[in-house]
Amino acid sequence: MAEVEKSREAKKQETPGNIITERIRTGRIYMPDVDISEDRDNLVLYADLPGAGDEDVSVTLENDVLTIEAKILPEKSDAHRLSHAEYGTGDYFRSFTINEPIDREKIEAKMKDGVLRIVLPKKEEAKPKQIKIHAG
Amino acid sequence: MAMRTLAPWRWGRRSVPVGREMEAYPLDVFQREMNRLFDDFFKGFGLRPFGEEIEGTAAFYPQVDMTEDEKAVYVTAELPGLDEKDIDINLSKDSITIKGEKKEEREEKGKESYYMERSFGSFTRVLPIPVEINPDKVEATFKKGVLNITLPKIHKEKKEQKKIQIKSS
Repeated sequence: MAEVEKSREAKKQETPGNIITERIRTGRIYMPDVDISEDRDNLVLYADLPGAGDEDVSVTLENDVLTIEAKILPEKSDAHRLSHAEYGTGDYFRSFTINEPIDREKIEAKMKDGVLRIVLPKKEEAKPKQIKIHAG
Repeated sequence: MAMRTLAPWRWGRRSVPVGREMEAYPLDVFQREMNRLFDDFFKGFGLRPFGEEIEGTAAFYPQVDMTEDEKAVYVTAELPGLDEKDIDINLSKDSITIKGEKKEEREEKGKESYYMERSFGSFTRVLPIPVEINPDKVEATFKKGVLNITLPKIHKEKKEQKKIQIKSS
């Protein structure tokens, strides 16, 4: 039963070593799960960052690369003995290349209950336009 | 390891440990590595060792850590996107049940999705408690998407130590 349950877990994944540069802080880095969707006006990104508060997260958009980073301080003290472990704690890191022109002044990011929500409004020229067809 | 480097569907994806490890529980880390190795391998075929569903269809299933010291047992669970109102904790004599539902954010119509990695749905986890605890003093906090439960132990067998003087005759 335990094994079956284990394989059903949505596992926390570590960031592949080849996409990030060497870091000064030691410890593990995790790749947060994200949902990204798009409508006419916005790109919306949700990322699960359990353990991160708004002061721990940094979101940067440099050129067209959106980077999400969160620094997590370990909570468990050394005095505790581990009896059962399923997840690891560590920093989060992930970056995306955004192909659409984004209105940088209007980007909004919000952190709630360990979920980050970023709304990236598209620039006016990137929005689809309805073209009227005239009857000839 | 050799198997996994040969598997083309895994190339360039995760699992290269980053930096030197400063882990408090090296053996546990090793076990986790091993589990992941197997999981990754079977995932490539779209099947799991125990006939479980294919990745992506899995419902939200939170991961739990349990630690203890001489005073209490501590349970932590990662529950991003839940509210404390969505979480239900029940204590029985020798187990603790964490129940809840991770609700999907309201999606407006006309949206196109590019990434859908996060999972949603309701879950129940029953965790056995290894020692006798005091049910009246159990505390739970929920902060930043992480649930913390403290279960204070009852010390019955541990009598106070008493120093016995040896008298010289």
